[in-house]
Amino acid sequence: MMLLPCPWCGPRNATEFRYVGEAGPRPDPASTTPEEWRRYLFMHANPCGPVKETWYHRAGCRRYLAVERDTATNEVRSAVDSATGVAR
Amino acid sequence: MSDTTPLARGPVAVATPVVRDGWELDARVATGPLTLSDESPLAKVHVRAPFDGASRAALGVGLGRTARGDLGTGDVLVVGSGPGEWLVLGAPGTASALRASIEQRLARTGEFTTVLDLTHGRALLRLTGPTAARVLAGVCAIDFSDAVTPDGAALRTSLAAVVTDVVRDDRSGVPSYLLHVERSSGQYLADALLDAGRGSGLEMTGFRGLG
Amino acid sequence: MSLLPTTRRGADAPVSMRLGPQPGEVIDRRRTIPFTWNGEDHRAFPGDTIASALAAAGVRVFSRSYKYHRPRGLLTADYLDPGAFFQVGDEPNVRGAHRLVEPGMEVSSQNTWPSLKYDVKAVNQLAGRFLATGFYYKTFIKPEPLWPLYEKVLRRFVHAGAITPDPGEAFYDHRHAHPDVLVAGGGPAGMAAALAAARAGASVMLVEENHQLGGHLRWGDAADLAALGELRAQVAAETGIEVLTDSVVTGRYDDNWVGIAQRNLPGVAERLIKARAGTLVVAPGLIERPYVFAGNDLPGVMLSTAVRRLVNLYAVRPGQRAVVMSANPEGDLAVADLERAGVEVAAVLDARERRGVVRAHGRGGLRAVETNEGRRIEADLLVTATGWTAPTSLLNQSGDRPVYEPTAARFRPDPARMPDNVLAAGEIVGDATVEAIVEHADAVGREAARRAGRGGPAVTIPSLAPRPHPELFTAGTGGFVDLCEDVSAKDITTAVAEGYDSVELVKRYTTVTMGPTQGKLETVNAVALVAAATGKSIAETGTTTWRPVYAPVTLGALAGRPHEPVRHSPMQPWHDRHGATPLVAGQWIRPEHYGDPAAEVRAVRTGVGIIDVTPIGKLDLRGPDVPKLLNLLYVNKWSKLGLGRVRYGVMCAEDGVVMDDGVTGRLGEDHYLMSTTSSGAATVWEWVENWLQTAHPDWQVHVTPVTTAYASINIAGPRSRELLGRLTDVDLSADAFGYMNVRQGSVAGVDDCVLWRIGFTGELSYEIHVPASYGLHVWEQLMARGADLGVTPFGVEAQRILRLEKGHFIVAQDTDGLTQGYTAGIDGLIKLDKDDFVGLPELRWQRERDEHAHLVGVRPLDGSIVPPEASQILDSSGGIAGRITSSRMSPTLGRSIGLAQIDRELAAVGTRVTVRLPDGRDITVEITDAVHVDPEGERQRV
Repeated sequence: MMLLPCPWCGPRNATEFRYVGEAGPRPDPASTTPEEWRRYLFMHANPCGPVKETWYHRAGCRRYLAVERDTATNEVRSAVDSATGVAR
Repeated sequence: MSDTTPLARGPVAVATPVVRDGWELDARVATGPLTLSDESPLAKVHVRAPFDGASRAALGVGLGRTARGDLGTGDVLVVGSGPGEWLVLGAPGTASALRASIEQRLARTGEFTTVLDLTHGRALLRLTGPTAARVLAGVCAIDFSDAVTPDGAALRTSLAAVVTDVVRDDRSGVPSYLLHVERSSGQYLADALLDAGRGSGLEMTGFRGLG
Repeated sequence: MSLLPTTRRGADAPVSMRLGPQPGEVIDRRRTIPFTWNGEDHRAFPGDTIASALAAAGVRVFSRSYKYHRPRGLLTADYLDPGAFFQVGDEPNVRGAHRLVEPGMEVSSQNTWPSLKYDVKAVNQLAGRFLATGFYYKTFIKPEPLWPLYEKVLRRFVHAGAITPDPGEAFYDHRHAHPDVLVAGGGPAGMAAALAAARAGASVMLVEENHQLGGHLRWGDAADLAALGELRAQVAAETGIEVLTDSVVTGRYDDNWVGIAQRNLPGVAERLIKARAGTLVVAPGLIERPYVFAGNDLPGVMLSTAVRRLVNLYAVRPGQRAVVMSANPEGDLAVADLERAGVEVAAVLDARERRGVVRAHGRGGLRAVETNEGRRIEADLLVTATGWTAPTSLLNQSGDRPVYEPTAARFRPDPARMPDNVLAAGEIVGDATVEAIVEHADAVGREAARRAGRGGPAVTIPSLAPRPHPELFTAGTGGFVDLCEDVSAKDITTAVAEGYDSVELVKRYTTVTMGPTQGKLETVNAVALVAAATGKSIAETGTTTWRPVYAPVTLGALAGRPHEPVRHSPMQPWHDRHGATPLVAGQWIRPEHYGDPAAEVRAVRTGVGIIDVTPIGKLDLRGPDVPKLLNLLYVNKWSKLGLGRVRYGVMCAEDGVVMDDGVTGRLGEDHYLMSTTSSGAATVWEWVENWLQTAHPDWQVHVTPVTTAYASINIAGPRSRELLGRLTDVDLSADAFGYMNVRQGSVAGVDDCVLWRIGFTGELSYEIHVPASYGLHVWEQLMARGADLGVTPFGVEAQRILRLEKGHFIVAQDTDGLTQGYTAGIDGLIKLDKDDFVGLPELRWQRERDEHAHLVGVRPLDGSIVPPEASQILDSSGGIAGRITSSRMSPTLGRSIGLAQIDRELAAVGTRVTVRLPDGRDITVEITDAVHVDPEGERQRV
């Protein structure tokens, strides 16, 4: 089982986290189009390689984390607190 | 009207009930060295504040560590339980005073803080004994070796699939762990620990208190 | 005179094959233990495996093979032995050459019907074409209706032991471990690596599949035994090493997460250890490879290591008259062992000089051996020592790609592709003297400790290379490649001829390597045969994938102890004592009812009832920016919620689908209490934190879950005010405490209670939230003080009826994963004029489209029929126009009522539509307002 290096708690089993998904900007609700909004809701790049994603450490610090992970190797290049930017 | 005097009950079923200070406690006394007790009557005050500001200094401890001290209500154990989160444990019956005292101290920092009395909202178990870490290894993926989780360490993780604050708080040199969960999960967690400890001789024992 | 010892007991005296004491034997001759074999009484010494005890008693045929039911004897005399799978009591597929005899064991052979000796299914081998290559694929394609029949026939033929439907109370365990260094394999290399790592300060876990440490030293000569004794003593003295015997590393996963099956624990059927290792040292040694030739599966054909185990560990003479084919020094040592054991060695065929066996003859057991020089030698034992297989599974699972070394006739690790946290030690790397192996492993152990963070300079690991060995796989005369699956050499070549020209395809087509030994014995032979048949080299052909798990693990061990959290309210002891029928709702155990839900409904409508609603989600919200948060997450407006006021809100997700609902009250200037559905409590908390942390980290809001900080009780019914008034200091008068308000005060002497005046049931009602430790006290007081009012406890079922009468929808009952806000009928709540809220664009578009389904009330014309939930509503052409989402018999109205989602064209009140019941009957229902009882809401506002 892969370890995720939580900036607050240190390396923890991936099962302690909830995978939130690929991180992307939320379109402006006032001006968005159905095409743009549904791309935001449903379409993900799912690359074989580095990807920016959000994880929630539900069984630990209960913080949302911005994680950069290589999906080919599971190497985590960075993991920081989404709100404060705190890194380990 | 004595039957209408409020009686507080802990989350774990009591085998031999006695009433003390308005709480129904368990009078059992374990004979072996490995014990589990329901410490839920302890005052439990939850603090939220910036993780790295003046409040942290006022509370005297940061994330992942514990400190013993006195915040104006007698001996307390302050636990850095999360980023910008603290758990302060005190003697039974001191919760209101403790909450007020902490609120007052933190007000001086000018920071955005919240102080809540969660005495009745959380279950608090204490697992004590030379082989306590072995029991935890049956229900938890964390490394409880002295090098990684020494006395005074605090962390939050999953115990038997329940999110738990684990606080290493040794008693007279004997490894001891405070386990802090949602109150409604207290009985389940106690059962899971007794199951994990059945080969190690784990026994329930009565309320011990903070000292 | 026959050379064959009898397999029978009784009439003929058994031939004891037990030798006198051997220097390295693992049996305790001071006492014997009884067991039975196919119903006959046998005795074993403590330390005997089932197979060694039977072999000592002269048994030679242990089982019938899987497909052709050919008689099989011992091949490897260890865990892998494909001939020694037994039924022990109610446990099938026991590894008989590994499992130690225990007193009273009832052992029987498998795959035999009606008996081991007279197996009628052995006709399969006479009608060999019946099970030709790919037989299953070719034969049982059509006609499909005959599949159940095929299955019945096949099941009788491939019966592999019997499982019990009642597994009893077996205790399967889990344990987590965090060794700095985990050593897989407890031979000389593994022991030396463990010692070096421990001496460098590492915590070490040393895992050995056999019952003792030592590997091949155990069946070695005096020098080997002396070296073994020394290593064992050092390991025993090293406190930093935890030794696990009869345990096996089952797999290596991401970040050195390593599974270990531990088998020999008292009171534990099997334990799965989940180890997070700093460094994994792979030191499994080598596995001896069988030779493929005609008759190679006859009882009496054995590997040299099997002979050496039998003689030296168990003091069992493996036969009377032997032929040995040897290509290596270990085979030569087997010859010496045989001679010492009093076996007549009729011939030694030195494979290094191109001598060898081409055929074995016999029926039911070996009788003669045919050599490649045309000799025919009578023998009951044929020993082959034709090469080694490196068990590289753990290295492959670590990302390594072992390379084939033709000069050594085996695969070896490619150090360049090994991750930093995995090292290999010992014979899997190369061959050397015991001293040199120990020296190599010592360096590996020190380096493993260093890589696990124990400091020190990088260690130079001495080079170790496999010695030359002839490539010997098959005599080219047929025979079996996979003895577990009964796959022959001919099956492999036929598969290639039929176009399955890659080893992965041949594996799937023939099932070679898919049996219990999982390729450890047969993979390289299979690869060699495929290579020969395709004209490629072994390196070009490659191996099949070595996947976890390395060794079988019971499902019980994978499951471990049941860790399924359940949650209880503080009033659960009362519910238990008063006959509540428990309802499992997510993790919660709740009272469904106390015997008569309809009576409970009537009590609430006419008097007063109380229900335990502790699972309702509760979030304490504090801070100046709480209104911003509420405005963002709820579809309605929250800016002007006054102190002491409560408002109902609905949350939608970004796709506009209804996610949760509940009321939120304002308790203080910057203090709110939010309630959620019971099932949504955890989700909503994470949802709130998600928006705060990722979208608005600048907002000052603290969220604390307080769901179980309060015991929650709903007091409902026309006399609820009267009841609660007897217990609280809060002024309950309609003027002081109106509908949709919140107050704080004491109840039954308990301070800090929160009282909402809200109405899910449609009656005058108060939802009180009591500090949880006092929940049982307050509940008992309500029951005691309300006795004269007829206070009635009611359960979830009565509450569901009451709310249905009032037309309140339940999220995820009356809505689903596609139900957007306007479908749920909350049009008045959705404020599209807000600048933003979660799901706003989708709800705007939903309204613009104006083609959505509606949530409506329904009443069957025949009020005695309750259409089951999920019954479909039909349109005039018979298509599906919606479904019943909730339905109950209403005790208040004396007729059935429901809620339904229905296409807008049919949603008008008064429309009559057809509902198809699950039994196929059609009934007519009329669309009504969703609110069936007290549409004006007078009752809850009194």
